Amino acid sequence: MPLPAELSIPLSQHLGKPAKPVVRMNDEVKKGQLVGEADGFISANVHASTSGKVRAIRPHPHPGGQYAMTVFITPDGKDEWAEGLNSAPVDWKGMSKEEILKKIRDAGVVGMGGAGFPTNVKLSPPPDKKIDTIILNGAECEPFLTADHRLMVESPEAVVAGLEIMASLFPGTLKLAIGIEANKPDAIDALQQYAVPKKIEVLALKTKYPQGAEKQLINAITGRNVGEGELPFDRGCIVQNIGTAVAVYDAVCRNRPLIERVVTVSGMEIARQKNISARIGTSFSDIIAFCGGMSEKTNQVISGGPMMGKAIFSLDVPVVKTTSGILFINNSALGKSRERACIRCGRCVEVCPQGLAPWLLANVAQLRQLEKIQLLGLANCTECGSCTYVCPSGRELVHWIKYAKALVSSRKQRKSA
Amino acid sequence: MPSVNLNVSYAPFVRTKDSIESVMYNVALALAPATIMSVWLFGMRALLVTLVCILSCIGFEWLMDTIRKKPASCLDGSALVTGLLLALNVPSNLPFWMLIIGSFIAIAAAKHVFGGLGYNIFNPALVARVFLLISFPAAMTSWPVPFAVDMETAASPLGILKTDGVAAAMKSLDLVNGFYGTMNGSMGETSTLALLAGAGWLFYKRYITFHIPLTMLGSVFLFTAIFHLIDPAAYAPPLFHMVTGGLILGTFFMATDMVTSPLSVRGQLIFGLGCGLLTAIIRLWGGYPEGVSFAILIMNGFVPLIDSWDLNDRKAIHQKKSVTT
Amino acid sequence: MISDAFIPAVSSLGAVALALGLIIHYVSKRFHVEEDPTVKLVNSILPGVNCGACGFPSCNQFAEVLVETRNNAMTCPVGGPDLAVKLGETLGMAMAEPKAQTAVVLCQGKNDVARRSAQYLGIQDCWAATQAFAGPKQCRYSCIGLGSCIAWCDFGAMRLENGLIVIDKNLCTGCAACIPVCPTGVLVMQDKKAARYFIACNSHDRGAATKKACDAGCTACQKCVKVCEDNAIVIEDFLARIIQEKCTACGKCIEVCPTKVNCIRLERDLNAVKQAS
Repeated sequence: MPLPAELSIPLSQHLGKPAKPVVRMNDEVKKGQLVGEADGFISANVHASTSGKVRAIRPHPHPGGQYAMTVFITPDGKDEWAEGLNSAPVDWKGMSKEEILKKIRDAGVVGMGGAGFPTNVKLSPPPDKKIDTIILNGAECEPFLTADHRLMVESPEAVVAGLEIMASLFPGTLKLAIGIEANKPDAIDALQQYAVPKKIEVLALKTKYPQGAEKQLINAITGRNVGEGELPFDRGCIVQNIGTAVAVYDAVCRNRPLIERVVTVSGMEIARQKNISARIGTSFSDIIAFCGGMSEKTNQVISGGPMMGKAIFSLDVPVVKTTSGILFINNSALGKSRERACIRCGRCVEVCPQGLAPWLLANVAQLRQLEKIQLLGLANCTECGSCTYVCPSGRELVHWIKYAKALVSSRKQRKSA
Repeated sequence: MPSVNLNVSYAPFVRTKDSIESVMYNVALALAPATIMSVWLFGMRALLVTLVCILSCIGFEWLMDTIRKKPASCLDGSALVTGLLLALNVPSNLPFWMLIIGSFIAIAAAKHVFGGLGYNIFNPALVARVFLLISFPAAMTSWPVPFAVDMETAASPLGILKTDGVAAAMKSLDLVNGFYGTMNGSMGETSTLALLAGAGWLFYKRYITFHIPLTMLGSVFLFTAIFHLIDPAAYAPPLFHMVTGGLILGTFFMATDMVTSPLSVRGQLIFGLGCGLLTAIIRLWGGYPEGVSFAILIMNGFVPLIDSWDLNDRKAIHQKKSVTT
Repeated sequence: MISDAFIPAVSSLGAVALALGLIIHYVSKRFHVEEDPTVKLVNSILPGVNCGACGFPSCNQFAEVLVETRNNAMTCPVGGPDLAVKLGETLGMAMAEPKAQTAVVLCQGKNDVARRSAQYLGIQDCWAATQAFAGPKQCRYSCIGLGSCIAWCDFGAMRLENGLIVIDKNLCTGCAACIPVCPTGVLVMQDKKAARYFIACNSHDRGAATKKACDAGCTACQKCVKVCEDNAIVIEDFLARIIQEKCTACGKCIEVCPTKVNCIRLERDLNAVKQAS
């Protein structure tokens, strides 16, 4: 898509501490130049996504729903790469592990599925954890989103190369697998061509939600259960997003930092639904203009998917590294809905992939019994939204659970302070 | 670009189309065959009973909402279902004032006293039925004969079984007739066929699962079959128990009531088993000829216990896992 | 016939009741715990609202610890100086006087003053709203205005008025139960004084951004700092603050404040005024 008139690049596009700004107002930057430096271990670099001038650095709405420090860049139109970046493909096989990890870290690659965990951190687990499986998550995390699907169909070789690069970081032979939902046969075909000679399994998974959630995916592919409070590497697994694999390939072989990503633009109220490759920092209003505008019936614009995304409060929010999709919907249930009494139909218990009792969690959250709710497995909830989806009483189950999580963490903070 | 109002709410942004109303009205729809059957069998009086029960239940629901200063829930369908179930559970010649008392007990005493829809421990319609049965035993056990023109009444097959023994009971009833429903009994319970058709709709719409009905019917069948094999002269055959009394109505429409049954699958299995065994025990040796209502109400009382057992058990599993790793 | 049915029933139930009654009587005598009558007395003086402001979960526990330790530094902020005197008389010692405090709202962003961002249609609770986005007002430091704190106030001193929490100074006892409940931290405790000025704004945004979001926001324009003769006003992180100890409540700052709705607020403590007059 065309270069927008202004790019607003938040310094916090990942899990962990926001990056430290390393440019100042009126600095000239080149495309791919570092503008925010990782601050601490769990943090990530942020780069300029075009060449231009830094107009301001100030708080700005973030698609996550909050405000975040943001670097505003006015493009000069030349779109010039900074020196040494965007090189011709090089072979990664000659590089050392440290070199590869450093390249991934420098490029600011983060998990592109939604959480945005820095990839180099994920790829360097504690030495006592033995990794024997790396899984690529081709099960699109949510309905509506097709960004990963397009990537798999259009650049399967990059996906496979990215997975191979990640595998080379661990000793021994690893089980490598790409899990794809069975309703995307074209993606399975495309990947199989490249993956089979490299001894990578391409697995068709049952199409269901939430299949793309980390714990469910590990269970579906390896049969292992990641328990409460455990991380995938406790079970010898690492799960990476398709987009992340491509970003890893770009970072290692082509010296390209993560400055653009595939975004699914969808929903009933946008004129042209499509997958676009958008620069990080493109504002949602620019994307709306590019996709032919949204209808007047739009009452919610959502960053992410319909199940776990966030309704944005301003159209000025930019695309960030974790923006997998933008949905434009006319949510007719809005405003009319009110929460009603639980009729104990048990559907939330039935659908909960973590085996929790969402109705009870929500009841306890409403009563603010924060000790009791933790005993009921609050930390186990992945907020997939399935329970709220099925509730015939229209209860905001996930929201109540999230509310309890917020109260619990604020109480912990106060105790430690 | 058109200016739009952005609204913020919390994910997920798509929701199921099901609502309390859709659940309740579908249950009511599933009860329609049995209701039509009762009108065919027992005449216009049955229709009047149904209307009185439904209207008085909805009326009391409105009254209780007003008294308790709650948002009006009288049209959400739950009162409709309660009224309909109550009507199907009584003889068609019951006086109207008794029906209204029954509706009051169902809505006020069994439902709103506990906190309204979703909070009641016992099935409202069954509480009302048992209340009427204990308070007006004569009126509640003189069953009109199908297609009778002069309000002729007689005992139900189960009543005959209790008082006159197996031979008399078997003679009074052809099992095929029992399946179609042309026998003495309360309005809705006689026709196994119509009830199964309604239950089929609920299965199709996935509002009920097979766990409770299967275990409940299965345990009644097995239990009565064992005793029938031991002494055929003293105990009626299991198929007789299947088609008579309120077993089918109770199994598919009242034991499976979402509010008063356990949430987890294994809890539902235990619940169904308990309902079935209690029904059979009361029928074989109890003082009353019919035991479905009592059995379900007794098991309703155990639901909180079953649920908390299930929850604690799960928690224990979670904790054990994290300890061993 | 009737007596046949009744006599066994009544007599057996009566016998059971009698037996249970005797057991209860025996247990209460046998396991009687002697209670310090002073604790009871102290407890009866305390407000009895179990608000937790003293650091103990209940008034009874406060009384127990007080009687046991005779620590005269222990105070009940809710009871105030009057209670301290009473407690002193009861225990025969001089009690420290608690500082009379009250909660204040550092925000004046009523709906007609603060500009809204998006409409919020989720669970009507401040914490729940902050999980969905930055808040229904453009200013992210503002009072969110869904009133989560109201439920925590044991004294009914808080109410919502046009999208803003208002605290009734007469009812607020200074127990501070509401302070940690606010997700944006617009509630703070201040000493009760006859009259005092404070900056009723919590926005650390730069002046331009604050002005854009709210008519009552402090833009850190420095005017009040310059006019203050007592050097009682400082600007910290784009927000003015009045140092309570230095402020003499002369009112000059309020005259120069350029915001449409003065971000500086004068509040008179009604109790103190009543006592003075």
